[in-house]
Amino acid sequence: MINERRIFLCLLLSLTLLIPVSAQDMVDLTLSIGARGFGNAAPILIEACQEEVGGINVEWERISDVPNESRSIYVTNFTARNPKPDIIAVDVIWPGDFAARGWIASLEDYIAEEDLADYLPGFLAAAQVGGSTYAIPLYIDGIHLFYRADLLDKYGLDVPTTWEELIAAAETVVEGEANPDLAGFISMWAKIEGLFMNWLAFFQGAGGTFFDADGNLDINNEAGVKSLSTMVGMLESGVAPESILTFRPNDARLLFQQERAVFLMVQDFVWATLTADDSPVKDAVALTRVPYFEGNDDTNTTVIGGFLLAVNANSENPGAAADFIKCFTSYESQVQAALIQGKVPTRPAVYTDDRVVEGDPGIAALGANFVYAFARPSAQTGTAYPEISEIMQTEVSAALLGEKTPEQALADAEAQILAIMP
Amino acid sequence: MKHANRAGIYFLVPAVLIIAFVLLFPIIQTVVLSFGRNSTSIFIGYEYAGLANYQRLLKTPRFITSLNNTIIFTAVTVPLELLLGIALALILNRRFRGKGLVRMAVLFPWALPTALNALMWRWMFNTEFGLFNSMLTDTGLALERVNWLGAIPSSMLAMMFVSIWKTSSFMALLLLAGLQTIPSDLYEAGSVDGTNRLTEFRFITLPLLRPAILVSVLLRTMDAMRTFELPFNLTDGGPLTSTETLSLYAYRAIFQYVNFNLGSSAILIQFIIIMSISVIYILIIRRGDA
Repeated sequence: MINERRIFLCLLLSLTLLIPVSAQDMVDLTLSIGARGFGNAAPILIEACQEEVGGINVEWERISDVPNESRSIYVTNFTARNPKPDIIAVDVIWPGDFAARGWIASLEDYIAEEDLADYLPGFLAAAQVGGSTYAIPLYIDGIHLFYRADLLDKYGLDVPTTWEELIAAAETVVEGEANPDLAGFISMWAKIEGLFMNWLAFFQGAGGTFFDADGNLDINNEAGVKSLSTMVGMLESGVAPESILTFRPNDARLLFQQERAVFLMVQDFVWATLTADDSPVKDAVALTRVPYFEGNDDTNTTVIGGFLLAVNANSENPGAAADFIKCFTSYESQVQAALIQGKVPTRPAVYTDDRVVEGDPGIAALGANFVYAFARPSAQTGTAYPEISEIMQTEVSAALLGEKTPEQALADAEAQILAIMP
Repeated sequence: MKHANRAGIYFLVPAVLIIAFVLLFPIIQTVVLSFGRNSTSIFIGYEYAGLANYQRLLKTPRFITSLNNTIIFTAVTVPLELLLGIALALILNRRFRGKGLVRMAVLFPWALPTALNALMWRWMFNTEFGLFNSMLTDTGLALERVNWLGAIPSSMLAMMFVSIWKTSSFMALLLLAGLQTIPSDLYEAGSVDGTNRLTEFRFITLPLLRPAILVSVLLRTMDAMRTFELPFNLTDGGPLTSTETLSLYAYRAIFQYVNFNLGSSAILIQFIIIMSISVIYILIIRRGDA
């Protein structure tokens, strides 16, 4: 009787000893990334990287793909200093803000300087604060100009490279088609982040930069007024329909796909849907870079979005997390993500990889525009970015709604931003 | 007897503690945070800033706008909902065939979640594909599409419309319950004294319905002052900030700008306003009882 009990206790004891041993062997990591955004590529790459890094066990936390929703989740988690998730997908405009709040860790100690050289510098810059890198680019999306090649052909028009050409082309086509349902130019001009991106594209195309070389705010100038009054002019002349003021990216995409617009300026996620088999415009749609204003052909106008991977500052295993990120964003992984999910890689070398060129020719076309890539001023503005973006959205909207002149809107924006800049 | 009382208190303690934790703690945290600076918790790194957040709010045009929007929204929707609610309740209180079905139909908008309602109406108000614009342009009533949610003040009017559509039935339900407590012999007595429909309503129904009216108006006012899902899903507070309500402003301050302190102050100001309105209502109800 006593013996039996002793054996039982021994067994129990050995079991409890076994558990910590196996836990020490494997490091548990949590990766938080959108279910739709990285979709089918996520489980495949997670498994591949678990094997390659070794000793890690990665759990995929599927979060919302709507940036504001996932941001709310992170705000809650990081304010509570939760060590999970270890690895998070961050929108390109977050690293400056998150790093300044001490929510994400500097990757200096884990990822060598020379490894960073292979990523698009314009994208990586958004994750660099005070000379330190806080996130590694995962995939890029950006604003492109989609157009109806068939309609431009019909009227013998060249693909526009400047805003002047675009407005003239849109007017010619709309007048010629005489279809009240056909709009010249559509985009996302609702009061959303996309509106700020839109104005920035116009602004850079007029030769402006949000901050000058010395880091001073520089929006209330000739380029600012030119960009904003051009947008207002497009609304007034009817090149852009009034409803553009309520459009989010997908609303604009829907209109374009129903053959009701000549030009569409939104992010590249629409490409797959526009060229799908059931799309009425699948053979007629083509894309080019975002235009610039005459005489500014050396400006970068492709505003970029996209996601990077960062390590939670309170993670218990930052080293293992960084190793996983290295693998997840490697050349091979990016080829896989491009082929499986159509994600545009952040390493320019992948655009010309034979497998990618053959498997998804659209990636190369989109990738070519990223030569003109520029990031929003989020790395410089730190924690103030969301508020600055909101101020710009509101003031640009005010000008578009005719509540203020472009000059007044820019002056008001400047005053409000200077008041909150750290 | 005394002994039994003490045991009762002991039994209550766990429940009271849990309620205190889940109910009282967030309120205390919000109040304390509203007097802080750069603080997200009252335990770690709390910094006292006095009334700074309140002073900043009162100087922020956007906050004032959202306060105005909320008050205008409440002042327009609640009376209209009450009128519609009384009318609906009177209809539902009659006897007719298919009454159950009608009652269900009236209750339907209220049963749907507000967020879902808002998204549904957003599609119907959509300028390019929406039901209203295609009805207007197809019948020739309008030549141009109306930019319902993209212009001032049609966006606010659309929001009020959806709110009235949804919550009139809630009013109707509360008032119907009130109507059914009115004894029918009063109406019989009235008819002996020679009332007609109008005087019957004026001198019997309305006075006896008063408590139900006050309670339903109180509930609706509190609700309207806190409106969040409707503008969040229907207009996103736009265009500009013309439909941004206090709750939406506070949400943005906290989750977009990560300024828990400013957001908490906004919530507290909202709380004080709602509280004062409620106290006034309750005093009116009490006076009626006495």
